[in-house]
Formats: sequence, structure tokens, C-alpha cells
Amino acid sequence: MKCTEIKELLVAYFEGLLGDSEQQAVEEHLKDCSACQAELQELKGLRDRLVTNGKALAQSNLEEDVMNQVIREQNTRLKAAARATNALKIRRTIMKSPMIKIVAAAVIIIAVLIGINPFKSTITFADVVKPLLNARTLILDVIVNIGSDVDEDTDPVVHDVIVDQRIRRVVSTQEHIVNIFDTENAKMLTLHTEGNIAVYSDIQGQVQDMTKNYVTVLLDIITNIQNNPDFEAEKIGEKEINGQKCVGFVAGNLTIWADAETGLPVRIEAHEPGLTAIYKNFQFNIPVEELESQVSMEIPDGYKLVENEGTEFDMGTPTEQDLVDCLRIWAEDLMDGNFPETIGMTEFTKTLPQVEGKLAESITSAEEGTQKGMSLGKGMLFHMQLKDKHYAGAGVKVGEADKAVFWYLPDGADTYRVIYGDLSVKDVAEENLPK
Amino acid sequence: MSENDKFYVERCLDGHPDDYRYLVRRYQGVLLANLAGKLGSRDRAEEAAQEALVRAYFNIGKLKKPDSFFSWLLGIADNVAKEHQRKEQLQRQREIVRSFSEESSGTELSQDYALETAIAELPEVYRKIILLRYYGQHSCNQIAEQLDMPLGTVTKTLSRAYAMLRESLQQQTEVYEVSQ
Repeated sequence: MKCTEIKELLVAYFEGLLGDSEQQAVEEHLKDCSACQAELQELKGLRDRLVTNGKALAQSNLEEDVMNQVIREQNTRLKAAARATNALKIRRTIMKSPMIKIVAAAVIIIAVLIGINPFKSTITFADVVKPLLNARTLILDVIVNIGSDVDEDTDPVVHDVIVDQRIRRVVSTQEHIVNIFDTENAKMLTLHTEGNIAVYSDIQGQVQDMTKNYVTVLLDIITNIQNNPDFEAEKIGEKEINGQKCVGFVAGNLTIWADAETGLPVRIEAHEPGLTAIYKNFQFNIPVEELESQVSMEIPDGYKLVENEGTEFDMGTPTEQDLVDCLRIWAEDLMDGNFPETIGMTEFTKTLPQVEGKLAESITSAEEGTQKGMSLGKGMLFHMQLKDKHYAGAGVKVGEADKAVFWYLPDGADTYRVIYGDLSVKDVAEENLPK
Repeated sequence: MSENDKFYVERCLDGHPDDYRYLVRRYQGVLLANLAGKLGSRDRAEEAAQEALVRAYFNIGKLKKPDSFFSWLLGIADNVAKEHQRKEQLQRQREIVRSFSEESSGTELSQDYALETAIAELPEVYRKIILLRYYGQHSCNQIAEQLDMPLGTVTKTLSRAYAMLRESLQQQTEVYEVSQ
């Protein structure tokens, strides 16, 4: 064979791909031909270079990175798909049912709950109320926890934008529901931003008072600190909060951290037995013009107004029956027949997303929706007003007549009222209460 | 690890995403070699290889013939590379020049940019064979099966690929010498 032919076979030769006769021919030729030997050496050099480089690259470990990314992205996609399905389902339901009213009712409860003045027994400087010339607008986050300690990472956060007598409120467990309170005219506008639906509610009475109260108290505190950084409170030192140097004061059950330079509060904590409230992330005096559109009581473009067909909202005086109905709805419609572990504002707020999902599915008419919404709201209001109360519903199922779920002492009464698992209510003397 | 590509592709489609790792393991070196030459650095190649592998996973339903996973993956990698390439072009030139100087200084190279660049410039069929043989550690028989061609064709193509690589490396050296 000629050199040109041999050269064609050299790669196959060192790769071991030649047949016996060809293999032999190449070997014979190589013995006597230095040119082909040199050619073979050069090709082998290139092969070694390929092998070395191949090994170096094969050592890399993309496996974990790729698998982690695949799993992460897979989860994100699944969640997005679930969200989309859910949103679609909610939108379908919402068009047919008046569930936005339930949500509106639920949010009203929050309004009342955070309106309960946690400062009432301790604010002694409230008589120095100065006109609020500057603080016409205020943005803040509120975390209220009844019954246990606040967990700032997981507890529902109420985000408020306050402009004069109006409040725009969004609760972190349901960010697609926006509520705008007009405390002057006792109206509330609820917007469902995914369903583009709007509903008006009447908030006369307790809701209006509590909501106003909340704003007044907050603004009073702020004015007082601002005007007199050494108000009658004990200075407890300085610390940095979010990079701001702050001075701390304690007045009774209130702890206030105010900016060392401006005197504006940065964080307010109120601790009372069984109730903790934290007010933080304040933003003061953003020009009214910038916030006005956010607190408008007009229905935004593209939103459909849900008229008050069926029962009107009536958040009037709550009764024991409301609490019984509230417990029934909570257990039957939201918890598959089990009473909740605990009841209170925090639990209720955490339950809100289910109110929208599960409860909406079980409703057949506009009237029923409004009714259930009101019962939930008024039941919680009734519960809030009770002083001597005890909840024991954890682990109890609806229908268990021998198990007490809740008892309370009505004002001025001698005997307790006990609600049982079958939602019957009896008068029981103190000594006969369940342990 | 011994199963063929089709097996793992079907496992992924049947809802066992974790089995994708065997395909990643099998082709990571191949992809890196293919991409390093195009993108001019190990880091960028890794980034692009990862992107290509993840992209392939989420599009695996679109793969019509599960046994042609490799060719399909390489196509995805080439697309990713093209997307990355424009901005990388200048950087790549610099890396090549650097790799020559490293080579001439006798340093042991953990990565051979000149070689990778030469591979990147090979026409597809030649590139596939070189990649599978030396970066995917396939035997020539396996390559013949994988690419569905007779062994004789694989042998000839491999031989021709060597010739092309030599030529390309030679040209690079000349360019380098001229630029010195």
C-alpha cells in the first residue's frame, strides 16, 4: 500500500477498528516508513490531547446543579399552574356567588379587631392632643395577635394607607382583596383585584367607631412623641432599627421606638395580657395627591359592581347566636367538621384564604353567602367583647354533644354559658365547668 | 447508568424527574466540550451547559424520537451557545490567545481552549463523533448505534475529523504567530 492509503487508515489503526489483514498491512508499512511513523505520532498526540481534555471535562459535576434547578423550576411551575387554576376557579365562583361579601364581612372583623384600643388603659398623655397639621397621611403595617406571642414572620400583616378619614387596607393572607374605609360616611368599598369585582358595605356603628378610634389613637401617639420627645414616659435607651438610630420609651404597656432625630415613631409595641399589637414600617406625610387615588371610594375602571341582592349587610349588635353560627360555619365549612385548634383574630385571619375557597363552594345563593359572612363576622365580634371566656374546641368534632367547645360568663350573670360540640348551649354553674 | 437514552427519557416523561440525572451525568462532559470551544471559557460553558440541560428537561415532551436525545440535546446546546455567543465573542478571542501562550510555556492545561475551539468549528457530524468518542467515552461501536450509521462510516468520519482538527489547530497557530 502507498503512504497516502496508509495515512487514511492510521486513526482506525490506533482505535483498533481495522480488520486483521489491514492491521497487518499497516504494521508492515510502518516498520520501514519514517514519514508514516511521524504521521502516526502526530495523530496519537492529538488523540492524547483529546483524551486528556475529555477527562478534565468529564470530572465536572453539573449533576447536582442541574437537578436542583430542575426541581426548583418544576415546583415553581406547579405552583404557578395551581395558582392559575385556583384563580380561575375563584373567578368562576365569584361570578356566580356573592362570596365577595363574605370576604368583606371577614375584613370588617379585622377592622374592628384592630380598632380595639390596646392603649386605652395606659395612655396618660392623650389629653395633650394637638391638631394634626402635618400627619394627614400615614402608611404602616400592623400585626395583632390575640392570645399568644406575635410571630412577625408568619402572623398576618395588615397593611394600611391612611389618608385623612380614609383607609386602604390589605391583609397579607389575601393580597388580592383591597378594602377602602370611609370612616366619615361609614362606607366600605371592597375590591377583588383578580375577579375585578367591587362591593360596597355599610359600616355604621361599632365598625365605624373602632376604625376611627384606631386612627385617632395612632395619630395621637405620633403627635405626642413628635411634639415632645420627652413625654411622660421612661426612656429605655437607644437602638438601631433598620439602620435608623432610635430612642425607646416605655409608657405602661406601650413601647415606642422613635427616630432619634425626627422624633417620629419607627415601631410601636403594645402588650396587654392576651393581646399584642405591633405597628411598624411607618411612612409619614406622603403628599395627599400621591395617595388620593388609592383611597378613592369610586369603583375603578373595569370593575363590576355587585349589587346588594338578597340580604343587606347588618353588622349591628352581635349575639351569642352569631357566635354559635360562626363556630358552626368555621368547623363545618372550613375544617371538614373539626372545630379549630384555637379561635381568635390571628387564626381567623389565617383562615381567610379558605373562606374564599372552601366556603364559596358550599354556598348556593346570594342570601346564604351574605348570611354566612355576617355570622362569621358578628360571631367573632361577639367573641372579642367577652372578658371571661375559654375555648376548648381542639380535637372536638361537630356533633359531639358531650364535649364543651366554648364557655363564657355573660356580664352580670352568675352562671356560665357553655357551647357544646353539637352547638347546643346550656347554663352551667362555675363549679360544674369542664376542667 | 447502563440503560440507553430512550429508557431515561421515557422515565422522565412518566413522571420520574430524578432519573434525568443519569442523562446529565452521561452528557455533561460532551456538552462542556462542545460549549467551551464556542464560548471560550469553562465557566461560561458550565453556565450554558446547565441552561441547555434544564431547557432540555422542560422540553423533553417535544422530543419526537427518544433515542435521538443526544442529537437533540446538542441542538439545544448550540442554540444556547448562539444566544450567549454574541457578547462572548471578544472575550473568546482573548482566551484563545491566552491558551496558546500557556501551552507554549509548557504549563499543563486543565483545559485546552485551542482544541475546543477547533472542535466547535467542525461540521456537525464530525463534531458529534469527536464529542461522543473522547468526551462521552463512547466506543466507536456505540457511536455507530447511537448515530445510526455503519461502523465503517464512523471510522472514516473519525479519520476525517482528525484531519480537520489538525488543520484547524495549525491555522490557529499561524494566526497566533502572526498576531505576535
